[in-house]
Amino acid sequence: MIQLQHISKWVTQGGSRIFLLKDINLEIQEGQFISIMGPSGSGKSTLLNVIGMLDQPDEGDYNFMGQEVFKLKEKQRSAIYKSHIGFVFQAYHLIDELTVYENIETPLLYQDVKQSERKALVADMLDKFNIVGKKDLFPSQLSGGQQQLVGIARALIASPKLILADEPTGNLNSKQGEEIMELFKQLNDEGVTIIQATHSEKNAAYGSRTIHMLDARIEL
Amino acid sequence: MRNIISVRTMSDGRASQIIHHTFIMLKNYFKIAFRNLLKHKGYAAINITGLAIGIASCLLLFLVVRYEMSYDKTQPNYKNLYHVVTQNKYADRTNYTSGIPNPALEALRLQMPNTKFTALNSLYGAQVSVVNNSGGADKKFIEDSGMFFCEPTFFELFSYTWLNGSPAALKEPNTVVLTKKYAEKYFGNWKDAVNKMLLMDNFVPLKVTAILDDVPANTDFPLGALVSYETVKKYGDHYNFNATEWGTTSSNYQIFALLPASMTQAEGDRQLLEFSKKNYTGRNDKSEKINFLQPLKDVHFDKRFETFGDHVTERSTLLTLSLIGLFIIIMACINFINLSTAQAVGRSKEIGMRKVLGSSRKQLFLQVMGETGLIVLIAGILAIIIAMLCLPYIKHIVSIQENLSLFNAQTLVFGLLTGAVVTLFAGLYPSLILSGFKPIMALKNRITSAKVGGISLRRGLVVTQFVISQVLIVGTIVAVMQMNFVHNADLGFNKEAVLLMSTNADSSVIQQYGAFREKLLQTPGVVNVSFNADEPSSDNNWSSNFAFDHKDDEPYPVSLKFADENYFKTFGLEFIAGRPFEKSDSVREIVINETLLKKLNLKKPEDALSKDIRIGGAPWKKIVGVVKDFKTNSLRDAINPILIIQNSNFYGKTAIKISSSNLAQTQSAIENTWNSFYPSYAYKTAFMDTKINDFYKQENQLSLLYKIFAALAVFISSLGLFGLVSFMAVQKTKEVGIRKVLGASERNIVYLFSKEFTVLILISFVIAAPLAWYMMNGWLQNFQYRIQLGAGVFLIAILISIMIAWITVGYKAIKAAVANPVKSLRTE
Repeated sequence: MIQLQHISKWVTQGGSRIFLLKDINLEIQEGQFISIMGPSGSGKSTLLNVIGMLDQPDEGDYNFMGQEVFKLKEKQRSAIYKSHIGFVFQAYHLIDELTVYENIETPLLYQDVKQSERKALVADMLDKFNIVGKKDLFPSQLSGGQQQLVGIARALIASPKLILADEPTGNLNSKQGEEIMELFKQLNDEGVTIIQATHSEKNAAYGSRTIHMLDARIEL
Repeated sequence: MRNIISVRTMSDGRASQIIHHTFIMLKNYFKIAFRNLLKHKGYAAINITGLAIGIASCLLLFLVVRYEMSYDKTQPNYKNLYHVVTQNKYADRTNYTSGIPNPALEALRLQMPNTKFTALNSLYGAQVSVVNNSGGADKKFIEDSGMFFCEPTFFELFSYTWLNGSPAALKEPNTVVLTKKYAEKYFGNWKDAVNKMLLMDNFVPLKVTAILDDVPANTDFPLGALVSYETVKKYGDHYNFNATEWGTTSSNYQIFALLPASMTQAEGDRQLLEFSKKNYTGRNDKSEKINFLQPLKDVHFDKRFETFGDHVTERSTLLTLSLIGLFIIIMACINFINLSTAQAVGRSKEIGMRKVLGSSRKQLFLQVMGETGLIVLIAGILAIIIAMLCLPYIKHIVSIQENLSLFNAQTLVFGLLTGAVVTLFAGLYPSLILSGFKPIMALKNRITSAKVGGISLRRGLVVTQFVISQVLIVGTIVAVMQMNFVHNADLGFNKEAVLLMSTNADSSVIQQYGAFREKLLQTPGVVNVSFNADEPSSDNNWSSNFAFDHKDDEPYPVSLKFADENYFKTFGLEFIAGRPFEKSDSVREIVINETLLKKLNLKKPEDALSKDIRIGGAPWKKIVGVVKDFKTNSLRDAINPILIIQNSNFYGKTAIKISSSNLAQTQSAIENTWNSFYPSYAYKTAFMDTKINDFYKQENQLSLLYKIFAALAVFISSLGLFGLVSFMAVQKTKEVGIRKVLGASERNIVYLFSKEFTVLILISFVIAAPLAWYMMNGWLQNFQYRIQLGAGVFLIAILISIMIAWITVGYKAIKAAVANPVKSLRTE
């Protein structure tokens, strides 16, 4: 599903390059549950952003489901990630001004899904995550765990093939964190490919494969 | 503040300590205020620019309104002085005029012995020649205004400074009193002027008997040269003065009254009504004529009555000016309130910290107010500079020729007051909001714009701004369209390339007209020449009662145009029936216009031909032609019924139709011809189209005023909008990032930003449209001929507002939309 070859990304500071990613080679099959581990600043988030096509490396090739991502135009690229990738953030990044329902609905708006269909999809999702009763609340009225549930529901609404989660449990207590991980496991069983960045060994253990990063490189 | 107030009850040492302490606090506030300004340069610039423009507009408009309100206020008898005016009631309308019949003066004095009356008779367009030792004329002037026939009693009512002599100087005929300015114009030095000789209209010798100090510019009595009243009695035939003729009034002849302190205006009016009944009844049964009093304080503001000044300003115009000033400053204050509350979130930490450190709410309130004050102060200084730079141009939007000065006590007080009110109005709400923050919430950064509230307030204020700017935009469009309509209107005659010369129609001039015309026609470029009393469209209105087809007098008057047989060709008037009259020395044939035809209930133009018509009590004449209607006045008024008649005695004007090539050459040839025929007469010309343009001076000024202030309003609201959007862009950085990650395109993001403002514009349009319609429809009622106020105007206005808003919002929105979401969502 994903092939990264010789991916490097750097910033130039005082004439010398500081690498954010250095010669990353990685292959991920559909249906895998990958955990990326490593200390802060090792490049986990940058790698996720590159995979999520939010960021571009300075060097290297990226093949996503048979397409050379960096050879595509901006528009085509955003069309791919719109329909295939869902994002989950450590800080949830819900839109404060929108209700739970509206937050979950937002990605569908950008994919021109019809209103009746949107209604059905959001209702399914609310049901699935057991948050029907909270659909009219605003993010500030929810606990952290509940907010992250909404964040995941939002990531899943457009039925992506791949979920990218950057420290999804970083702001949660351990019980809430466990619930989220269980949820990821369940989603993975249903066939969704998941890549998560995490600090926690325990969380990494939910995955089928763990990649360790240090100083912008993948440790083999 | 409390500290300072309580000082009185304390001992001196403690008091000085507190004052010292207060001073340190103030210094601290100022420092913070100043640094805050520097830190938020963009917002500060927007606030200061907007407020400076607002305050400058207010100052300038205040100067104008104050000037217009000051007319003749320096007259010591201001409160008891009245203008005796006339109301003429016809079956179908009521006419008003300042004119009074000549014999009324003596009759009034007999009837109302306790009231002082005086007559002032203006001499528009008189020629004054300075006589030299050999009896010839050195210098010739045509005085368009400033010359009057005046009684010595005038100075019992009105007060002026005499540099030399006294009112007694006007007792004898052939005497004249000059103001300093006029004396200097004629003789170089006013001190040499007394006992020098002038020649008026080439036949009235005048001896200068006294000198007056110059009158101020803000007067409707622009005295320049005052010829004794005895002179007009002596030369009555030439100056249309007849002390027994009750039937004629001219607005050049006006009467003023000084009521005794014990008499009210109502009592004066009652006595005038009695006077009118006694003197006018039975003289003309077609109208009911009465005289009444117009207080001097209304003279400058009432358009119904002619004054001797160069313009009358309606109070509604002054109200419009004041409102515009108010609007502009409100808009600037709104910008301030909006930006300050929007910024409040960012300042919550500072406020929280100050509260934790022991600042009271009152102190914080004063701090924020102080910052507002500082901004207003800077804006005020800038405003004075702007106002000073703009002052010389103000005469283009109002009829003030005098140079106004910004620096006088009244304006200073007004400026300070404006500053104080603006500070209070703009600063109050932000101060209350900021000082009300709960310290813990503020420190925890838990204060969001939603919690600060004021989002709906901010929307309301933005709507207010849009309403104001849209009303002004509609006003501008309507005023510009109407003025375009006026300038391009078909007047029914050809106004292009017609040169008008004013002449004093005395017999020696008229005798030479035939030869003069022949000579002019030989000049290359001259197409036609007509002698007449009045051009087709003019402010003059010479009217008379008349009878048609040997019936009784018709119940309405007819306007008279005296002209020769070449009038029709020179001005390109079209006939719908009959022909021009033939050249004749006496009045035999008459031409009428379409309006008169309709008023006489004649079906076909041909029906009027060969019928007889009679003016006043004169013999019957034959109608030989009917001309297609042309605009007899400005487009403000309906077309009058008109008679065109020959009478060479009244031909004070020469109209010369010239071909438009070699204009300058043709003009100088005409001048040479004039000087060779009439060496003792001053040469003065104007083009017909320029004269017509002058009809609409005030409307043109208003239209310009709208243009300027609509532009300012749009500018200020755009400034505010830009500030708000920049702020929104900062606030929404995260949201934009999330949306982009969720798949929003750049277009989606730009739409997100413009949507809200577009909705606000639409809401304000709903409020602005009826307001603007009401306002401009009222203004259009001033014109008999006007544009239709259709939906198009409003459509253009809203399109303009939306476009400007989009352009303003667009830059920031696009910048926000293309930003990389990875940056805005980074958590570590």
